Amino acid sequence: MDRERIIVGERRAAAAIPACLFAWLLPGAGHLYLGRIGKGLVFLGAIGALFVLGVIMDAGLQMHLGFDDPLALLRSLAQMALGVPYFLARALGFEAGRVTSVTYEYGNTFTEVGGLLNVLVILDAYDVAVGRKR
Amino acid sequence: MASHLLALVVFSVLASVVFATLLRDDRKSRVRFALMTVGAFVLSAVVVGWLMYPFPS
Repeated sequence: MDRERIIVGERRAAAAIPACLFAWLLPGAGHLYLGRIGKGLVFLGAIGALFVLGVIMDAGLQMHLGFDDPLALLRSLAQMALGVPYFLARALGFEAGRVTSVTYEYGNTFTEVGGLLNVLVILDAYDVAVGRKR
Repeated sequence: MASHLLALVVFSVLASVVFATLLRDDRKSRVRFALMTVGAFVLSAVVVGWLMYPFPS
C-alpha cells in the first residue's frame, strides 16, 4: 500500500514539470496535458482573449530586462509569463505598440494582467499534477 | 475598443472567469463567484473614478 502511494506520488511529481512548462508555453495547455479539458479551454480562451485584445489595443511588448527601470522590468516579466503568444506577437512585429493610441495603457494592462493570471494558472496546474486539487 | 466602460467590462469578465475557474470547483458556485467578481470590479472602478474626479490630472 505504501509502495503504491510512493509510485503514484512519483508519477504525479513527474507530471508536474511538463504540466508547468506547457502551462507557461500556452495558457491552459498544462491543464489540457493533465486531462482537465474544460478548465484548460477556459484558461486558453480567457487569457488568450486578454492578450489578443491587449495587442489589438496597441499594447507595447518591449522586452526590458535591466534594473534601471524596475517597473518596466516587472511589466516585461508579467507579459513574458504568457509564453509563446508573447514571443510570437513580438516576432510578428507587434513589439512596439503605439504610444500615441488612446488605448495604449489599456492594452498594456490587458497583456500584463493576462500574464499574471497565467502565473496563477501555472501554479494551479502544479497543484492539479501533484494531486492537491481536482 | 475606445469605450472606457466597454474595456472595463470586458476586462472584468475575462479576469473573473479565470478567478472563478481557479477558486471554485463546481459550475454553480463558479457562475455565482464570477458574477460577484465582475460586479465588484466594475462597481469599485466606477466608485474610485468618481472619487478621483475632483482631483486635477
